[in-house]
Amino acid sequence: MIVVVGLSHRTAPVQVRERLAAGADALPAVLARLEARGELAEAMFLSTCNRVEVVALARGEAGVDAALAAIREELARQGGAPGGDDLLPYLYDKRGDEAVRHVFRVAASLDSMVLGEPQILGQVKEAYEAALAAGALKGMLGRCISQAFTVAKRVRAETAIGAGVVSISSVAVDLARRVFGDLNDHAVLLLGAGEMAEAAARSLGKGARSLSICNRSFDRAAALASDMNAAAVPWDALERGLVDADVVVASTASPTYVVTRDMVRRVMKARRGRTLLFVDIAVPRNVEPAVHELDNVYVYNVDDLEREVARGLTARRGELEGAEKIVTQEVGQFLAWTRGLEVQPTVVAMRAKARAVLFSELERTLAGRLKHLAEGDRAALTQMLESAANKLLHAPTTKLKARAVEGDALELAAAVRFLFDLKEVGPAKDGSQGTSEATASDGDERLPN
Amino acid sequence: MTAQLANLLFGATAVVYAFASVLFVADLLGRARALAGWAPRLVAVGVPLHAAHIVVWSLVLHVCPVEGIHFALSVASMLACFAYVLARSRYRVDAVGAFVAPQALAFLLASRFVGTVADEPRLRSAFLPFHVVSNLLGIALFTLAFAAAVAYLVQEHRLKSKHFEGVERLPPVDALDRAEHRFLALGFPLLTIGILTGTIWAREIAGGTGIARASIAYASWVLIGGVLLLRAAAGWRGRRAAVGTILGFGLSMVVMLMYLVRGLWGGHS
Repeated sequence: MIVVVGLSHRTAPVQVRERLAAGADALPAVLARLEARGELAEAMFLSTCNRVEVVALARGEAGVDAALAAIREELARQGGAPGGDDLLPYLYDKRGDEAVRHVFRVAASLDSMVLGEPQILGQVKEAYEAALAAGALKGMLGRCISQAFTVAKRVRAETAIGAGVVSISSVAVDLARRVFGDLNDHAVLLLGAGEMAEAAARSLGKGARSLSICNRSFDRAAALASDMNAAAVPWDALERGLVDADVVVASTASPTYVVTRDMVRRVMKARRGRTLLFVDIAVPRNVEPAVHELDNVYVYNVDDLEREVARGLTARRGELEGAEKIVTQEVGQFLAWTRGLEVQPTVVAMRAKARAVLFSELERTLAGRLKHLAEGDRAALTQMLESAANKLLHAPTTKLKARAVEGDALELAAAVRFLFDLKEVGPAKDGSQGTSEATASDGDERLPN
Repeated sequence: MTAQLANLLFGATAVVYAFASVLFVADLLGRARALAGWAPRLVAVGVPLHAAHIVVWSLVLHVCPVEGIHFALSVASMLACFAYVLARSRYRVDAVGAFVAPQALAFLLASRFVGTVADEPRLRSAFLPFHVVSNLLGIALFTLAFAAAVAYLVQEHRLKSKHFEGVERLPPVDALDRAEHRFLALGFPLLTIGILTGTIWAREIAGGTGIARASIAYASWVLIGGVLLLRAAAGWRGRRAAVGTILGFGLSMVVMLMYLVRGLWGGHS
């Protein structure tokens, strides 16, 4: 059974999450510890800013509680508290269907702090690849995670869960693109050196032709400029800076307007009417609102940006229902496949037994009464028997599998074992071909999808 | 058979332009977003159909395609679509098709159903090819400039009013402004040739009649020239340039319509 133990932004504050986090360098050691635990058949360790989780396959039905306890132990060790009691209030655990649903929802970004953000899929892929490289994924869990990628792709393709912009920085970038298109031919000016403006300017500056920073303290501007590969502009050259810039991100702590309508009127004359965009994220505002009334000048303040963020989030939440339906559908498909695994050893043993009986009889007959038959006739007889065996076993095989998909095959499997006098076989819970050593012709034993 | 082929091509072109228009408008309204990518492709399919229709129809009527206003309207709208297909990726103005495709459809239908080719005077002059070809190309480019200007005003209104819903469905205002200027700057020399040859031709053939039509044509030339001049000299961009472009294009359309309906009014001027 698949299990999940972990904590996320929903259950734990950042100071707890950061204790358990493991970077790419630490991941092999963590995976090696999980791999060494006898309670776990497979495991994957997912560590992002907003969640730390172990997804694992418990060894046998009876071992689920032991597997959960083992993971809690390992997480406690990861957090530097071997007892781990202080972590317990923050940890959640999920098992079976619930765990599979959780994995699919996480990969599809339905459980992310920012609904629909795209980074989580890449992070799950990294965790998957690390687990694969460490040999910690062997069958069913690997299949579950790779199906989670399919779910995430379907959710993105079939819903608008990733549409719209949902952060101040991304709204600022989006607005600049709405006004100018590509920014690679445009200059960005950062007015002030606040943290918010810095974040927005970093996003805007990525594709821009140039980035300049103008601050009352030139030293602060110069320091930030060297950090961001930008140019520092003295405060008294602000107006000149506005003439050269196309996008201005304002975030000074000034209690009065730094950019006034009269100033921008002069600037626009010098710019010969070229479009100018102000993103004013300062409170109190840095740009006089009347500037927005000038031709070819656009001013957006923090309220405008937050309204846009809210609109993006509302739109994404509206897509949640459709996304959950896809997840439910895919969980059903995955569980049907796992249930199919429960009867696989019985099917394999039944086919092996039937073939063994038929072919031993054939061998005996060919050595006795029919020993005069030519090679060609012997081959034809063997072929005929092979075909008859397959046809005879087709109905019980498909019916058993169909019942397994419905989740009600244990009694029927027991009946088949009784009727065919098969020895007890365990379910192939790890996604392998079963415990029987029989070599039945199971070309149709493929997984769904 | 040829007449049937002309009708078939006319119908196919109209249907393709109509579908493209519906998809463009649906995209602007936020519907059928998945199909939006097909709209510019449909315009691209419409262009060769339209060109084939013009050729076959001219053979049916025994009229040269650059002769007469009916063909001129049809050829101008076909050229506008062709220019759109060429320019849409370069200037990233895909959504301008939302104005070009319905206009092409309207011109195509008008060329067939408003007045008749037979009503037109058959005029011959050495200036005629220059006059017609430069006007056709000029109108095609002004059609694109007009479409970019309308899209600019819509987009600018959304950005100024801070109603961002649907803002992503039109190109950036700066791209629209630059595209509008380029189409206008390319079309203006052609309009100038058209006006000059038209002036000489009108004197030669019609003895200076059609004063009203000529006056409106001059007004559109002055207006479009003014828009270009003020942009270069005084930095007139954005809204003012867009309004000037729309007015200039509107006046040139009035001239076209006057040509088109004069047969219905029973006169040449």
